[in-house]
Amino acid sequence: MSSSRLRIVGFAVAGLVVVGLLALMALAGAFRLFPPTPVTDRAREIDALYNFVFAISVAIFVLVEGLIIYAVVRYGRKPADTELPPQIHGNNILEIVWTIVPTIIVAVMFVVSFNSLNKVDAVANTTDVRIRAVAAQFQWSFEYLSADGQTVQYEQLAPEMTVPAGRTVHLSLRSHDVIHAFYVPQFLFKRDVVPGRENVFEFTVDPTDAGQTFSGQCAELCGTFHGSMLFTVKALAPADYDAWLATQIEKARQSPPPAGSAAPGQVELQLAAKDVKYDKSALEAPADKPFTIKFQNDDASVAHNVAIHDAGGQEVFKGEIFQGVDVRTYPVTPLKAGSYPFLCTVHPNMTGTLTVK
Amino acid sequence: MATTALTPAATGTRSSLYDWLTTTDHKKIGILYLVNSFVMFFIAGALAMLVRVELAAPGIQFLKEDLYNQVFTIHASVMIFLFIIPILAGFGNYIVPLMIGAPDMAFPRINALSFWMLPLAAVLILTGFVTGGAAAAGWTSYAPLSEAKYSGVGQDLWIVGVLLIGTSSILGAINFLVTIFKMRAPGMTMFRMPIMAWTVLVTSTLTLLATPVLTSALIMLFIDRNYGGHFFDPASGGNAILWQNVFWFYSHPAVYIMVLPAMGMISEVLPVFSRKPLFGYKAFVFATAGIGGLGFSVWAHHMFTTGAVYLPFFSFMTFLIAIPTGVKMFNWTATLYRGQLTFATPLLFALGFLTMFLIGGINGAISAAVPVDFALQDTYWVVAHLHYVLFGGSVFAVFAGLYYWYPKMFGRKLNETIGKIHFVLMFIGFNLTFFPMHALGLAGMPRRIANYAPDAGWNDLNLLATIGGFTIAASMVAFLWNVFVTTRSGEPAGDDPWEGNTLEWATSSPPPPYNFDHLPEIRSERPVFDARHHLQGGDH
Amino acid sequence: MTSDALAVTTAHAAEGHAREGGISNVILGMLLFITSEVMFFAGLFAAYFNVRATAPVWPPEDFADKLHWLPTADQPIPVVTVATVLLVLSSLTCQLGVWGIRRGDHLALVRNIGVTVLLGSIFLLMQAFDYTILYGEGVRLDAGTFGTTYYTLTGFHGAHVLGGVIMLSVVLYRAMAGQFSRDHHDMVEATSIYWHFVDVVWIVLFSTLYIIPNPA
Repeated sequence: MSSSRLRIVGFAVAGLVVVGLLALMALAGAFRLFPPTPVTDRAREIDALYNFVFAISVAIFVLVEGLIIYAVVRYGRKPADTELPPQIHGNNILEIVWTIVPTIIVAVMFVVSFNSLNKVDAVANTTDVRIRAVAAQFQWSFEYLSADGQTVQYEQLAPEMTVPAGRTVHLSLRSHDVIHAFYVPQFLFKRDVVPGRENVFEFTVDPTDAGQTFSGQCAELCGTFHGSMLFTVKALAPADYDAWLATQIEKARQSPPPAGSAAPGQVELQLAAKDVKYDKSALEAPADKPFTIKFQNDDASVAHNVAIHDAGGQEVFKGEIFQGVDVRTYPVTPLKAGSYPFLCTVHPNMTGTLTVK
Repeated sequence: MATTALTPAATGTRSSLYDWLTTTDHKKIGILYLVNSFVMFFIAGALAMLVRVELAAPGIQFLKEDLYNQVFTIHASVMIFLFIIPILAGFGNYIVPLMIGAPDMAFPRINALSFWMLPLAAVLILTGFVTGGAAAAGWTSYAPLSEAKYSGVGQDLWIVGVLLIGTSSILGAINFLVTIFKMRAPGMTMFRMPIMAWTVLVTSTLTLLATPVLTSALIMLFIDRNYGGHFFDPASGGNAILWQNVFWFYSHPAVYIMVLPAMGMISEVLPVFSRKPLFGYKAFVFATAGIGGLGFSVWAHHMFTTGAVYLPFFSFMTFLIAIPTGVKMFNWTATLYRGQLTFATPLLFALGFLTMFLIGGINGAISAAVPVDFALQDTYWVVAHLHYVLFGGSVFAVFAGLYYWYPKMFGRKLNETIGKIHFVLMFIGFNLTFFPMHALGLAGMPRRIANYAPDAGWNDLNLLATIGGFTIAASMVAFLWNVFVTTRSGEPAGDDPWEGNTLEWATSSPPPPYNFDHLPEIRSERPVFDARHHLQGGDH
Repeated sequence: MTSDALAVTTAHAAEGHAREGGISNVILGMLLFITSEVMFFAGLFAAYFNVRATAPVWPPEDFADKLHWLPTADQPIPVVTVATVLLVLSSLTCQLGVWGIRRGDHLALVRNIGVTVLLGSIFLLMQAFDYTILYGEGVRLDAGTFGTTYYTLTGFHGAHVLGGVIMLSVVLYRAMAGQFSRDHHDMVEATSIYWHFVDVVWIVLFSTLYIIPNPA
């Protein structure tokens, strides 16, 4: 291969690298290289730090990559290059410069991130909103603790955490089995849930986000159905939160209604759950008549239930959440004809369709 | 690779299966390492394709959750323990004794033993798939998930397999260290050694100090699982975080074990194809040693979210390690400056390495900022980061080294045109696969999940990554085709096809059993360059 | 000890493959191997101190009086103390053998290494005996972190003693076959370094497990 051809190939490849990188940057516009919109005080802190670190990173990348591309384009071997280029073995001043300058940059990055860390990790321990997230294979539940953090006032078995917006929440994490991680992308935050150790952190959802629901999920591989460990965080206005919690505590005080058995002549549907899946994806029930669902949970120590939504996504029925291996019979009030998705509240990716006709 | 057809014919030695099975020649063992590692690369690559196919769309299509967990666990374990680490040891085996003018490794039979443990370990680790489930707790095997209560017999096979690989690495490291300290040719002082030899020296030191700690961790886990031990069992006084500490005490230095020799290979390729010496040889040596030393003080940056580590210290050390890495980056770039670049395939892969490793390195500094790591840890962002370092870095360097030394090993040059196709496909495919993962991770997609909600907004990027994965697979077809074509009708290379600098180019291709009939005088780190240009040389 | 070995082998470097002088390949290899062994035991010790530091009391109440090295009513002569004395003695006899072959004294080599093999074997037997006593008292491998760490640490040390006894036996066999000379005995030197290492590990282990928990 002649030198001139080599040179052309060199330029072509260099061009390709450039085009490839430009394409990537264009794509970066199509997808975000930034975290989701932060919704807590800590998240905004982290978001600001990310922007700072990211800006420095982009600058460094552009500088160094620019130097590489310049060298590639500029110093291709030409046919006339029969003599050796100058044999430069190094330059001590340059070495010192490109040791000192990065040292200063990382020192600045460290100091800024250290300050940010102190704010993010601060636990004042003065709030009376104390919640404990309890993780187990493969479900989340949430315990609402008294102001002193000692007694459990109400245990939410569904993976739905309700918090007051604008008030600091003190969250402690407890695991019954393996390591899990509490992760809400819009909090820009996660913390491991480690058996034998109680991690705590605090956050305040922005007051303007009252009424919003944020999705979260387990972020530390915890076994087969790790990907099913979803939960939501619902932010309520403080007054609504207090009212909601009081109602829940009151409800919990009354013993749960005994699971009724099917009245004679009533339709009983059979459904079972195994390996975090329903055994049927379709059920059929008569319209405008009460019916029951006999639900067999075959997953040992995993909680399931059956919840029925209407076409608009509103919950029309929610069966009791219970751990396997066990069985419950749910009485369902009459439904109008139509198609209703049903799902497990604990594992929203366990789904099926109930056809009422 | 049809190695048997080519190698020994040139030297007139008999080539038979028996010969390969019993060889103690460092060059043949080096080739065995390379062949075995590439077989493992294709197995683990196929597993990666399964992962990408499953993730191409939301829902569970091909792999049920339990099998999915096995597939990504074995993908990572095989790539790390049976591909990257051994293939770099393979290059070290073949090249380092030649580079320092030695007739063989210091302990040839132990060298053979080190190699033969690897296929055995591979069989053990992969056997899990047919004995009721391979290891499925991730390559990190975090306790308590990896304990007997939560994981099956595949986990035991994995433990024993990794123990064997660790032992192989330790023996190999001792061998490299004694070889480098004791077997250098007259005139080959430490500061005239090629950078590749330096990086193997530092890597071996890391292996020697870090791998035994992994051995102890694996043994503790094995005792927990099989003999009722309680090391990692919080219910009986054990400590779940203890596993992470001992595991990462090994596995972070292991990242440098997987990257430093790759850096060494790049440092050999860049000067040759620039027709210039490496810029800042001594700075490079000190930076390598610096990375090795700091490598032992950053392990807990994998554990920022556990709530159980002293964050400022490990954050600070992690930032610090960016400095020697940056020094290397600048020295490589300066090596290109005012050079005369020949864009042969080895240089293309080396330039690919520079770009990809730059991204991977900068990513590392981003997540050294602890609060940012709180957002990114265990998401696809980390998957992107580690692949930019280990694939964009190490694997690109492996191919740079392979295209560069293939003529020395087999006497024929790999086809340049197919090589360029290979490079272009791999470069594009790699970025298509892994660049979108930064965005996926930022958007909140955790790693190690088989399924995601269709409305999570992750569909397009996952599909893009899967398309990228197939592009990488296509590039591997080009590579295999290249080896096939070259084996059948490759261009004879001669002793020194690239105008190399280091001693391996002073002997025949492939070299005779004892490597050198005579050695050129060694007066600098580029003895063959000095001889070619009739220079008196001298230390710089 | 080691520096002696270094100094002497330096004189004989020309014998081996070394080109630059210094210690021989075999001895350098052994020193590096021991470095890796140090890190291996460091990992186990780190685990031990970790569980010990996080335990509310150590030793746990059930095992408060199980490990003792001073005479008690039950055991007027504690097995472990005798075993420790024997192991330390074996290091001495091993070194006497090395000094013997450095003088060219084959008989001293054979006798001393023979005694060392014997002492090492007795140590192993006594350790096995001690295990049966402890097991009878309820100190079992699965008995909490106390039992787990105790048997893991002492068990792996025991395995190293066994390895050392096997290596010493090979040395003994080769010595009896007359394969070592004043100028050519790298394997003897390397094995003795390993044996001293095993001895040092035991002293650290013995102090940690037996003496520090029972300061009284």
